[in-house]
Amino acid sequence: MKRLNPSLVVGGVIVGVIVLMALISFVWTPYDATLVTPASRLLEPSWSHWFGTDKFGRDVLSQIMVGSRTTLFVGVVAVGVAAVIGVPLGILAAMVRRWPSEAIMRANDLLLAFPALLLAIMFGAVFGASTLTAMIAIGIASVPSFARVIRSGALQVMRTEYVLAARAAGRRPLPIAVRHVLPNVTSLITVQASVSFAIAVLAEAALSFLGYGTPPPTPSWGRMLQESQEFLFSAPRLAIFPGIAIAIAVLGFNLLGDGLRDRFDPKLEDRR
Amino acid sequence: MILRLIERTGVFLVSLAVSSVLVFAFMAVLPGDPARVALGVNASDQAVAELRQQFGLDRPLPTQYFDWLGGLLHGDLGTSYVSKVAIGPQVFDRLQVTLWLVVAGMIIALVVAVPAGTLMAARHRKLSGLALSAVSQVGVAVPAFLAGILLIVVFAVKLGWLPANGWTPPAQDPGMFLKQLILPALALGLVQGAVLTRYVRSAVLDVLREDYLRTARAKGLRPFQALWRHGLRNAAVPVVTVLGLQLATLLIGAVVVERVFVIPGLGSLLLDGVSNRDLLLVQDVVMVLVLAVLLVNFIVDLLYVALDPRLRTAS
Amino acid sequence: MKSSFRIRAVAFVASAAVLALTACSAGSSTSGGGSGSSPGGDQKLSIGLVAEPASLDFTTTDGAAIPQALLGNVYETLVKQDDSGKIVPSLAKSWTVSPDRKTYTFDLVDNAKFTNGKQFTANDAVFSINRVKTAWTISLKAAMDVVASSKALSPTQLQVTLAKPSNDWLFRMTTRIGAMFSESGVSALATDPVGTGPFKFSKWNRGDSIVMVRNDDYWGSKPFFQQITLKYFKDATALNNALLTSTINVIGTVQAPEALSQFTSNDKYQVIEGTTNGEVLLSFNNSRPVFKDLRTRQAIRMAIDHKALLDTCWAGRGKLIGSMVPPTDPWYEDLTGVAPFDLAKAKSLLQASGAAGKTLRLRLPTLPYATSCGQVVKSMLEQAGLKVQIDQLEFPAAWLTTVFKNADYDMSIIAHVEPRDLGAVFNAKYYTRYDDPTLQGYLAAADSGDEAAQVDNMKKAARRLSEQAAGDWLFLLPNLIVADKNIKGLPTNAITENFDLSKLAR
Repeated sequence: MKRLNPSLVVGGVIVGVIVLMALISFVWTPYDATLVTPASRLLEPSWSHWFGTDKFGRDVLSQIMVGSRTTLFVGVVAVGVAAVIGVPLGILAAMVRRWPSEAIMRANDLLLAFPALLLAIMFGAVFGASTLTAMIAIGIASVPSFARVIRSGALQVMRTEYVLAARAAGRRPLPIAVRHVLPNVTSLITVQASVSFAIAVLAEAALSFLGYGTPPPTPSWGRMLQESQEFLFSAPRLAIFPGIAIAIAVLGFNLLGDGLRDRFDPKLEDRR
Repeated sequence: MILRLIERTGVFLVSLAVSSVLVFAFMAVLPGDPARVALGVNASDQAVAELRQQFGLDRPLPTQYFDWLGGLLHGDLGTSYVSKVAIGPQVFDRLQVTLWLVVAGMIIALVVAVPAGTLMAARHRKLSGLALSAVSQVGVAVPAFLAGILLIVVFAVKLGWLPANGWTPPAQDPGMFLKQLILPALALGLVQGAVLTRYVRSAVLDVLREDYLRTARAKGLRPFQALWRHGLRNAAVPVVTVLGLQLATLLIGAVVVERVFVIPGLGSLLLDGVSNRDLLLVQDVVMVLVLAVLLVNFIVDLLYVALDPRLRTAS
Repeated sequence: MKSSFRIRAVAFVASAAVLALTACSAGSSTSGGGSGSSPGGDQKLSIGLVAEPASLDFTTTDGAAIPQALLGNVYETLVKQDDSGKIVPSLAKSWTVSPDRKTYTFDLVDNAKFTNGKQFTANDAVFSINRVKTAWTISLKAAMDVVASSKALSPTQLQVTLAKPSNDWLFRMTTRIGAMFSESGVSALATDPVGTGPFKFSKWNRGDSIVMVRNDDYWGSKPFFQQITLKYFKDATALNNALLTSTINVIGTVQAPEALSQFTSNDKYQVIEGTTNGEVLLSFNNSRPVFKDLRTRQAIRMAIDHKALLDTCWAGRGKLIGSMVPPTDPWYEDLTGVAPFDLAKAKSLLQASGAAGKTLRLRLPTLPYATSCGQVVKSMLEQAGLKVQIDQLEFPAAWLTTVFKNADYDMSIIAHVEPRDLGAVFNAKYYTRYDDPTLQGYLAAADSGDEAAQVDNMKKAARRLSEQAAGDWLFLLPNLIVADKNIKGLPTNAITENFDLSKLAR
């Protein structure tokens, strides 16, 4: 019997709520999240503005809702880039002979020497600060961890009897990779994706804080936090709402990752 | 064993060479002309061209690269385009600042993570273990700069116990140095500690499941005794790996905390360099960071061999 | 703790005042342990500022941060501006202008000394003026082009001949290009500035602070503080926190005006609000077809409710101006009525010019006021029927290249902080690409005419710009200073390039 895993449930619910919030924000928000209305600036939370308004008179709740789109976009792009490069690299490294495999993993390690923030700052300087460039940089920086995890998983799969049988039967490497290895590492991919998602959300917040993140006026939790700084004493709520939103989102994706890991294989702890 | 040592060293050196090319190539495509930034907005094209020549920016790229590399090998990091000051001493000063911060942060992280993680693993089915897990999960989810801002608001502005920001070199005033170090080190250390806790927990959990530990317990050792005698060394292997990786990311990750606490570290030098298009400075700083990361990885590799008896024999 | 500190500070002033008398009559002694040579004894002060200089050499590195720290404090000029903007003596005791308004004769002080021990003479002045043309590289040096020759008539008399009459030249001599250098003190300008000023450069902790100490050999009245530290903060909130926790005594320029309330409500602090030379300009790329039509430009000015904008994006701090002239210039007129806020009229003008529905790129530098006000501008213009796309460009590098050099933009927002910069900003070669012979005519007449003609023509130029809607002046940046209550001598208006440290006292 499988017990209901609390991490999985809580994580799943949080992520579900964020996705739902993002979807709803496409069709409805209480107010236009980017409309500047000087007359209603810095309002306290009330029935008409649940989370109050910011210095531009924009509704904070609407911004949090639309901001969840940015957060999801950030995660999807970063994880997408990391997975599209990292997964094939990991499988390849597991399937080829010792020397090329070693070379791939060494190149992979080299990439580790360029941490996400460093890459993002450099990319921002070259291509201009935007959510997309920052996220591609963070995605590239997340490739090594993907490749490593997938490689170790794929190595295990390569030793299973059915793969050995397939190889003995003269199957070509590509079909083996697609038909046998990939399906057997999907659980690893999901877990890693979830963890990387959380890292990407944190990175976007840090970059926005440094001014290399999402440019205005696109609502982003990271930038909301940065803009709220001068109100830390007069209107701390402006920092509290996006701060909590970021923390909950990261928590959700981390819990989801943990829960998935436990569910798929309790022994497969992340060793990196 | 010696073969492995030689191999690792070789890999390390090749990695260094490759990354130097990468770093240089990246700087070469960075838009924004350092000469123009230095001269201001109304400068004539001729003046800009003269300054480019003075900086040596008009030479072919390979020449520039080997010049730079040659300087590096002699410990000469060149002269800044913008401040016209030797870069080496600047980088060295800033690196020291960042190292203090990162090392202090790491110590706090370890002090938090090792007991907490071990406890969480030993009690992973009990309420106290679960509660600790929940706390660490929340800790992981808080951005370091947010933690920093909160610490400043509470301990510096509201309570007035510690300075809100600033930096004093330890040689100048050790008391002030410590006071100013506490909050940023906490901001960095607590968040990293939360991350590390989870790795410690899983490493200890792994060890607890191992046969030799079960045997030890069967012989009548209490769980913590068994862990102490047999488990920690094995649990240390994955933790050291993560520690190495974290140290590497922290060197650059500290930039955010440096910004919040107005600390003149390597990260802020890098950000200033980027915005002033002080290309040579940026190039040097990035190279130093990359070198540090590769070096840490190299040391971790060596530690691996030293720590894990199984790995030692396997090679 | 606070009260005891005050008492101690008062005691210092009292005892030191007596000593200052002796110091003055005896000519100042050498350092002598710091106390006794000036009313402030060995008191120290720490000032928080926002932009750290990239170098200490303003002859080859542009940027406002270097003269802010060094001019008037380390380097002095022949003439300087007083608080009301009038040109008054400094290293020149007096000066005369020839009837053809081309020859200036300066009588120099005879007791000024450089910090390298050399006496300041007319030869140093000649050297400094010539050096602008030969060794300086920043673009501002062009203001010295009008000088035909300069020579020392005697060690204390300098004669400068201009190629044509120029009112602007004497004014520019109050700015950084008028700084006086020692012939033997220019070998390491980037790290070791040598001047005649009331302060000596002492130490630069890069990434953190610049330390200046009182020049005890200073020829004029000595400053109060023995040591002043200029501490640099990239983050406005960190700057505020530093004052709140007494790490610094003064915030030189407030970058987060919304956070001022925590100081205004606390009687430990004083808040000073005045004007600056920083016109926050919503610039138009006048070479773009869409801006060729006067109606479009006027419509943009009318679509912006400047009062609401200032309240929203800069906490209502600052002054509304209708043209490129700050209120401290002699030719200032209130021109805010030229294009008053009128949304309906803006809409119809846009319809008429055919610009309605078009997309304009607003390329903003990553500066607090630009990021903040850009979002308000976008929202206001969109209500009038334009579409606005905001791009953020990293400041300075990316913004300078893209907007300034290549003029690859439709609109931008930047504060022009140089004094009397109307003519420099609005011309065909500048990034505004504003080609207007009528304006150039006024400017030329202003430069060559007498004082009355200058004021009259500059007024015409300012009105012309406003009526032609060559750009939109969002507001004038305020001079916002917050300091410990007991600090005296802080400037109400910041109209010079420097932050005058010599007048500060406790």
